[in-house]
Amino acid sequence: MSTTIDIPESSKVAKGKAVAVAPPRPGGWKKGVAIMDFILRLGAIAAALGAAATMGTSDQTLPFFTQFFQFEASYDSFTTFQFFVITMALVGGYLVLSLPFSVVAIIRPHAVGPRLFLIILDTVFLTLATASAASAAAIVYLAHNGDQDTNWLAICNQFGDFCAQTSSAVVSSFVAVVVFVLLIVMSALAIGKP
Amino acid sequence: MKGSSMEVGEVSKKGASPTRGLSIMDFVLRILAAVATLGAALAMATTNETLPFATQFIKFRAEFDDLPSLLFFVTGNSVVSGYLVLSLVLSVFHIVRSTAAKSRILLVAFDTVMLGLVTASASAATSIVYIAHHGNAGANWFAICQQYNNFCERISGSLIGSYIAVAIFTILIILSVVAISRN
Repeated sequence: MSTTIDIPESSKVAKGKAVAVAPPRPGGWKKGVAIMDFILRLGAIAAALGAAATMGTSDQTLPFFTQFFQFEASYDSFTTFQFFVITMALVGGYLVLSLPFSVVAIIRPHAVGPRLFLIILDTVFLTLATASAASAAAIVYLAHNGDQDTNWLAICNQFGDFCAQTSSAVVSSFVAVVVFVLLIVMSALAIGKP
Repeated sequence: MKGSSMEVGEVSKKGASPTRGLSIMDFVLRILAAVATLGAALAMATTNETLPFATQFIKFRAEFDDLPSLLFFVTGNSVVSGYLVLSLVLSVFHIVRSTAAKSRILLVAFDTVMLGLVTASASAATSIVYIAHHGNAGANWFAICQQYNNFCERISGSLIGSYIAVAIFTILIILSVVAISRN
């Protein structure tokens, strides 16, 4: 008994070439996370560079002076504030340079490479940003309140404008720190396999 | 073909999964960081120096809670030390069950927040210690280290433990993220 195998002909359908490259998988929620990442990075750039600029231009000279006393306060009398300006500028520069990697993560939401690179650098710069923000905050606190036990006077009583500018620079840098924490947690969420 | 029976695709088991080594390193580093922060908090909290001369009205005594930033340092480092001890439980869970992704993400989130806290307390204390050593001419703040030598040495040394913990936290976060991406 001969066995015949019937193969149905699909002659109506033109046989085309098979697609060699698989189309990219739909992004899904990872693409949304990447877009949020990009937007938050833009916000953090504004916060970090704003903090650096505000601190760097803080300078106040009191209208009265004598021959021997100094009645001028500027950010470079304080080593901590100098560190703050340099570090915040570095953090802002890093955020600007990390924008292309963020764009790559939007285009290819399932790629692990760009996200991992961004997380590692984000962690390092989070540490840097927090260090400068907190040390400047300690000095600003001292300037506002003074310290009785060590006889350090509260200079904010005289230098009101200087104090206001340095305080707002510190607040802005803490905004950048919070954004960094959010960026790291979001990237950690999106980097998992499924 | 008959031969020695060997199943196709049999893999010799070296480790249960590629992330087990990472989880073990995570556990060890956590213990180190807990010890470092606890040591830093204790070293700062036991500072107390009284100068040998004293009058009836003027205080010649230096303690860590005279300076709010140093108090923040002790509090922050104690909180971080307690968190690290509690997170050892989760770390052991990750060694045992290496494919847990959601708990690792939770751990990364908490670790990032604690990294911020320990860095903030270490740097706030550092800026105060810097002023204690050098003073500040522009603000007329006198360098108290010139009188209180012992106090100054202690507060400077206790910063080291905190900075070690900062470095360890950075490594911990990167380890956890690499483990998440490999699962």
